[in-house]
Amino acid sequence: MTVAQLAQPWQDHSYAFLDESAKRELRRKTLKAIALPGYQVPYASREVPIARGWGTGGLQVTLSLVGPDDVVKVIDQGADDSVNAANLRRFVARMTGVKTTTDALAATLIQSRHRIPEEVLRAEQALILQVPDPEPLREVEPDISVARQMHADADYGLSWLLLYEQLVRYRRIIQGDSYPALVHGRYVMSPSPIPRWDLPKLHHSAHLTLLSAGREKRLYAVPPYTEVRPLEFDDVPYRVEDQRAFACFRTGVRNKFLNELPQGDGSSRYELSDSGYAEKLLRGDLAGPTYFDSEGKFYHDGYLQG
Amino acid sequence: MTVTYRAELLPPALVAERPLLSISGVSKRYGAVRALTDVALELYPREVLGVVGESGSGKSTLLRLLNLQEDPDAGSYSLELPAYQGANLFSLGRFAKRELRVQHIGIVYQNPYQGLRMNNTSSGNVAERLVVAGERSFARLRQAARSSLAASEFPLERMDAPPLELSGGMQQRVQLAKAIALQPALLLLDEPTTGLDVSVQALVIDTLRRLRRELGIAMLVVSHDLGVIRTLSDRVVVMRHGRMVEMGLVDQVLEDPQHPYTQQLVHAKL
Amino acid sequence: MAYVAARGGEQAIQEAERLYHELLGGLSPERVRAVQEALPYLLDRVMGEASLYAPELAALALAQTGGELYEAVLLLRAFRTTQPRLGYAEVIEQDRVLTLRRISAAFKDLPGGQVLGPTLDYSHRVLRLEVVKDGSTAREAAAAAPMPAPSHYPALAAWQREAGLLPPHTLDVTPAEEIPDLTREPLLFPAPRAHQLQGLARGDTGGILTLGYADMRGYGLTHPTINEMRLGEAEVILTHPGTGAAFSAGRVRVSQAEIVTTFAGSNETPQLKLGFAATLGWNEVKVIAAAMLELNMRSPEAHPAHTAEFVLYHTEPVEASGFCIHYKLPHYVTFQSSLEAMRRVREPQSAEVER
Repeated sequence: MTVAQLAQPWQDHSYAFLDESAKRELRRKTLKAIALPGYQVPYASREVPIARGWGTGGLQVTLSLVGPDDVVKVIDQGADDSVNAANLRRFVARMTGVKTTTDALAATLIQSRHRIPEEVLRAEQALILQVPDPEPLREVEPDISVARQMHADADYGLSWLLLYEQLVRYRRIIQGDSYPALVHGRYVMSPSPIPRWDLPKLHHSAHLTLLSAGREKRLYAVPPYTEVRPLEFDDVPYRVEDQRAFACFRTGVRNKFLNELPQGDGSSRYELSDSGYAEKLLRGDLAGPTYFDSEGKFYHDGYLQG
Repeated sequence: MTVTYRAELLPPALVAERPLLSISGVSKRYGAVRALTDVALELYPREVLGVVGESGSGKSTLLRLLNLQEDPDAGSYSLELPAYQGANLFSLGRFAKRELRVQHIGIVYQNPYQGLRMNNTSSGNVAERLVVAGERSFARLRQAARSSLAASEFPLERMDAPPLELSGGMQQRVQLAKAIALQPALLLLDEPTTGLDVSVQALVIDTLRRLRRELGIAMLVVSHDLGVIRTLSDRVVVMRHGRMVEMGLVDQVLEDPQHPYTQQLVHAKL
Repeated sequence: MAYVAARGGEQAIQEAERLYHELLGGLSPERVRAVQEALPYLLDRVMGEASLYAPELAALALAQTGGELYEAVLLLRAFRTTQPRLGYAEVIEQDRVLTLRRISAAFKDLPGGQVLGPTLDYSHRVLRLEVVKDGSTAREAAAAAPMPAPSHYPALAAWQREAGLLPPHTLDVTPAEEIPDLTREPLLFPAPRAHQLQGLARGDTGGILTLGYADMRGYGLTHPTINEMRLGEAEVILTHPGTGAAFSAGRVRVSQAEIVTTFAGSNETPQLKLGFAATLGWNEVKVIAAAMLELNMRSPEAHPAHTAEFVLYHTEPVEASGFCIHYKLPHYVTFQSSLEAMRRVREPQSAEVER
């Protein structure tokens, strides 16, 4: 009798790499997260063949959800061909044989680091955001046990204090990405390091958004048609990044999020961050309706002012 | 009778009014140490009650319990406020206790590190209380912080300095501003002048007296300093080893102490 | 050329990986064998941090990565995730472990004796240049002792408990399947002791050393003494699923340390306080430092090196190294967002509020 005889026949890996118990745990935790919008659900994050900090949380959620009929898009900073996105997409395809795409509207699952696509996502789609630090209170309370208690008590005074002091010091809110947002009127969450530009897209969205931190081992969710409001004072309206003066040098488009590219002569050029969308425009293909129209107006009566 | 507390001068009322605060049968022990045994007292609206005793008398424990920071082993606590009538506050849930602490009770700790966020702005310390209570206008937060700090006679040109950079007396004023920001019915003060220079002490006491006159807040002042008690209080409770030994009008108790311990205290100090 | 722009991102990363391996030279069974034979202590370190005892695979991981330790640990951990659980080994007491090295700093001599075993502790740290200059491979053979050292040793802590110097200890008889498992459950605080010990067992040697050192130098109020340190080979005893008979699946190298401090407990009857750590493989620096940390995680002081949360989070090798190098990923969207906010502040006419 040998150990080899006791074991199952050797397989390279399960479908989607994770074994069934790992997938089951992730799915259960995901359901719990959806049932408690904005609440961080701890989970046993497995080690996968990608380094921690490089998207293992988002990857595990994608792997637990993907099936043979899915179509997967992976982006980083909005770009499909970013090396990290390419690597993750390659891994998912290798482990599942699933179809991949750069078209945001053709995908059923979109895994993204730090951006939400410009085209409005639909009810059948799920957006999976990679999160480095799930704890919005980290800046004001580094001790995670204390922060957990603060969430339980809905004690967010310190978050407000942070914004108040930005106004006192700089006379503007200077919070850039990861703007703290109140979900379903109960939990404050970090929306992951998406720019201010992208946060309103989560408010009353048709699609499901899942946010997962592999290293910190927490996942949370924004179910469809959920209220997501950035913490803002009544008399200091939330503002997205102001890039009105700039246009994409490739497509000519304005009022979409742009990357700044420093030039040799000291000036800057700008290009669309959402490469899939840019591709469609350059090919002359039909793009879907976008969250911000060509005048920069948001597609529904959310809370964005002027 | 429902009593509403407003920041105007109310005509003097007789003691036939219902007490604002009342506790009875309050006991608390920490392991083998009995911090409080069977304490009962009442505080009337707009009154100042002094609690005097030496260290180990239980007066700080009493304050923590009144601030709903801890639970006693036994006893009941009621505040005459709409929505809380007839309730024993010790048996309320966590959320309700926090709500009470934010809206209706102000506290000034002996050690400002306990009561303030030392590295945030002084105005922010006051504003936080308001924002937690639901204020969402930055302009109003600014205005309210200014007026609370001004009422505590804090120099407004330093309103955005962090308490860490301020003197002890100024830190106490920030605590005070924070405590009165929502115009609570009850103000708890733990050794508010201890550790301050004598001249600063006098100023802080003046501020407290003015606040009491103008805002009509009921105060419970804990101190081992009989001079402070005498200047501020209407009535006084003397505590020793967790028990009350004497209670009465401050002049009566300090001029004509009945209990031997009080006599000892008075003759030693005054 | 931007490493993110344009087509060919996928090709770029594939070529980068190929270049890495080309510079390493070929990966071959011979190379793996050479690593396995020549570098057992490195293998032990990597197996301990991966919490996977598989010397041949550890050698492969090291050869494959060219000795990049954090990459090797990640390879092994990722492999471990894919492996099914066959069963649980029986709990083994230290007096049943085949022990090759056993020392105590607490007493000059003790039951079983002080046995140095294989160690460089008292060697002169001189590079043997003759090996590379003359090709000289001569070494002195170890002589057999007149009497062989014992293969098993009683626990010093048992003697101390008898003497009332240590508090009595109840054996934990939790069935194996119910022991909290850090590789399958999230780490939440306050953490069960099983999670703490497992976290230390798989912790980054350098990280544990750093925090342990901080403790030893005086951030802890402890004067530590090594009660016992042991290097041994533990039998992996499994139960046959058919016959129910116990059998040995082989031996694994394990190391453990106990640290004690004096004057714990009450003022009238002070006692010793004991900290313990163990890991797969032989790694003395790690188990000594980890035992220090384990002892101090139970004390109430607020210093980071004493707090379970700080210690366990920051000594996690895969998480720490992964997060560190993740900063190489593009962050230009978040950077753009911050730049924009900064630029607005520099335009004084764009203030949102009055002070």
